[in-house]
Amino acid sequence: MTANVVTPDSIDAQRRQAEVLADRVARRSAIVDRTGVLLPFVVIFILAVALVPGFLSGANIRSVLVNASIVAIVGYGMTLAIAIRGLDLSVGAVAALSSVVTAGAINAAGAPLGVLTGLLIGLIVGLVNGLLVAFMRIPAFVATLATMGVARGAALLYSHGSRVTISDTGFRKLATGSVLGIPGPFLLAILFCALTYVLLDRTRFGRHVCAVGGNPAAAREAGLNERRLIVAVFGLSGVAAGVAGVLITSQLGSVDATPIQGLELQAIAIAVLGGTSLAGGSGNLPGTFIGALLLAMISASLNLRNIPGYYQYLALGALLLLALGLDTLRQSLRSRLMAGGTS
Amino acid sequence: MSVQARNEPASGNAAEPLVSAEGIVKRYSGVQALKDVSLALLPGEVHALVGENGAGKSTLIKILAGLESPTTGTVMIEGNPVRFAGPHDSQAAGISVISQEFRLVPQMTVAENMFLGHEPRRLGLVDRTASRRMTRDPLRELGLDISPDRRVDSLAVADQQLVEIARALSREFRVLIMDEPTAALTEVEVDKLLTLVERLRETGCAVLYVSHRLPEIFRVADRITVLRDGQKVAQLRTADTSVDELVTLMLGRELEEATESHHSHPPTDSGVAPVLRVEGLRCKNLVEPVDVQVGAGEVLGIAGLVGSGRSELMRALFGVIPATFGRYQVDNKDVKPRSPADAIDSGVFMLTEDRKAEGILPLLSVLENAVVAQRKWGRLLLNRRKDRENYQTLHKRMRIRSADSANLITALSGGNQQKVLLGRALLSECRVLLLNEPTRGVDVGAKVDIYQLVAELAATGVAVVVSSSEAAELVAVADRCVTLYAGRVSGYLQGDAIIESAIVAASLGHSLSKATDRRASS
Repeated sequence: MTANVVTPDSIDAQRRQAEVLADRVARRSAIVDRTGVLLPFVVIFILAVALVPGFLSGANIRSVLVNASIVAIVGYGMTLAIAIRGLDLSVGAVAALSSVVTAGAINAAGAPLGVLTGLLIGLIVGLVNGLLVAFMRIPAFVATLATMGVARGAALLYSHGSRVTISDTGFRKLATGSVLGIPGPFLLAILFCALTYVLLDRTRFGRHVCAVGGNPAAAREAGLNERRLIVAVFGLSGVAAGVAGVLITSQLGSVDATPIQGLELQAIAIAVLGGTSLAGGSGNLPGTFIGALLLAMISASLNLRNIPGYYQYLALGALLLLALGLDTLRQSLRSRLMAGGTS
Repeated sequence: MSVQARNEPASGNAAEPLVSAEGIVKRYSGVQALKDVSLALLPGEVHALVGENGAGKSTLIKILAGLESPTTGTVMIEGNPVRFAGPHDSQAAGISVISQEFRLVPQMTVAENMFLGHEPRRLGLVDRTASRRMTRDPLRELGLDISPDRRVDSLAVADQQLVEIARALSREFRVLIMDEPTAALTEVEVDKLLTLVERLRETGCAVLYVSHRLPEIFRVADRITVLRDGQKVAQLRTADTSVDELVTLMLGRELEEATESHHSHPPTDSGVAPVLRVEGLRCKNLVEPVDVQVGAGEVLGIAGLVGSGRSELMRALFGVIPATFGRYQVDNKDVKPRSPADAIDSGVFMLTEDRKAEGILPLLSVLENAVVAQRKWGRLLLNRRKDRENYQTLHKRMRIRSADSANLITALSGGNQQKVLLGRALLSECRVLLLNEPTRGVDVGAKVDIYQLVAELAATGVAVVVSSSEAAELVAVADRCVTLYAGRVSGYLQGDAIIESAIVAASLGHSLSKATDRRASS
């Protein structure tokens, strides 16, 4: 053995020193996690203003805000699902189903009942997802892939593959109207962001969701009801998709079963870009909101520059890959920094 | 009760036990983990539970924690029989457990983890100010000065352990169960923890202290229960017993006096240049840097219990966990294994502890399993004929009992699977072979075969390192043996001095004081 004199006290002192350092690193990496998405947001915003003619026009800003809002609302649900270490791939199809059914129900029974039906559909599919994951132990990825197929099929079946046009013009005010010049959906998105943030970060329910997502064994040992939490989270994600479906119907006035293709990918992309790690155990809702704005700015810019829609898919895919890469990088950096502090 | 049972004379029934277990039997599909074990925890008493790995300590703890229910037998709280449906019931009955496994949520803050499941609330929301405030005191008591807002995954392992302890202490409890609480802690922290345990005793709590570390037990415990093979073999007053007696009871054999054989310096020069030479290895759970040298044809044994740093040492050598080396040489060439792939490229090969999860490729044949690690990319397609030839030689040399090399490897017994894996190592043409628990879950006959194979492998000039929790195994295979205790080397044994009792004693920290005394005097 080497003759190094290592007294317990000197080890302890060394460790305390490392502790101070680790604390600083931890604080900084927490700040990066929380606000990291602002950097690409500002960069893209400046680039768009500089390079895209008409980006700052009233019509464009309005359309960016409305589109971002719809995706953001779905993204909040996705953030919850990721926080509990799941994914909800069915949200796009659920939004489509909710959208056509809402349109049909409004024509048949009026706006209030129509909206209620749309939300209910989201809730039902979401609960089914939750039950599949919690009780049948099917991985969330696979379970929601299956319900995605079912919901998409049901939407096509309901609309017979054709458009449903709504006659109620009052209902269209929901997405097209403004309060004090601010588009309605944008207000809704901010409101839901605040509500979901409080739910996830400040209530027992939210903390328990994160505990289950972070370390299921620890959650079980603390006496948390894992299954109930999973069902509730997927239920909420379904409702969020239902809200998006209602807003899409209100925005377009005439819908078929294929609105906003790839909504699930967008929702995942904005959540991860916003700083929610796919490893589970945490969720950054304001980040998801900013991520949605970022994504909407990119698509609007591509639209204004007359870049064909195919490229938008490419851009979305690339953005998702970038977000995932950043997530992995963040995690490995974190573990390396922490390992350095451990010695 | 076994013949050797030695029990303290019945105490004067001074106090009723807070928790008692009576006649506990636990069977897991054929295996009897606990055979009629009884235990009573009295208020104001620290009760130690000792025994070798697999003696049934963890099972007993799980039953008291409500994680398992006994096959027969009853758990009683203050004399009333209870049935725990889950950990919540056990906690509600006033039992708080500090478990060995990691039971914190890494992404959540220290304060959130402290109150997980019973967060203080105000106006329907989690009261973060209150939980922060209530977190600080229990942490301070353990000498941990960290912000309650730190995410747990940003803490050092020892600090995480302390948070876990603090959490158990912050609950309302009358009975505290501590399962290897000091595995990751430094001496200063251990001292603080033991002081705290002593204070808990004064307040009338009952503490069940489970540890491999006998010095700690002799410091805090009032009584000691010894388990062996699922049976209670003794219950003693600490004041009436000795380390020697405890080790004898745990082993079920006399402890031979083996202090003569302890070397305070590693015998280094045997004239030949070592194949593996590692100096100043530092990694998680090692308190002091460790040197490892193994010559060609030599088998070095590494002994140590849970928390001794043994498995970390092996994994660091193979590049699985981050580590720093003063020097890492294979055949006098400096290498830097940052990952298992690096290690294999440098000629270092490891067979893992967990054969099922990390060793075998269950969907492939015996043959494919044997040849998979040949990393020579000479040609595009597999050379089936060459593979078969290689396998034939292996088959004979390794005495693998398999009718057909095309059978799935899962059709083989554990022992034969292990032989195939040893063959894989042989074919990889490694210079250093690291074996982790090479005979875990292997029947006795195959064990002997494997020991012989290890010796034969070494005879071909390979340097072999065998890490094992079974002392008998190291006696069977090792030329030299290093024992680890609490993150540092506690002894070196060589040749005839490698006997079970010496290994066990050194692994329990028994010879630690002697070894250091000698070092200081020489």
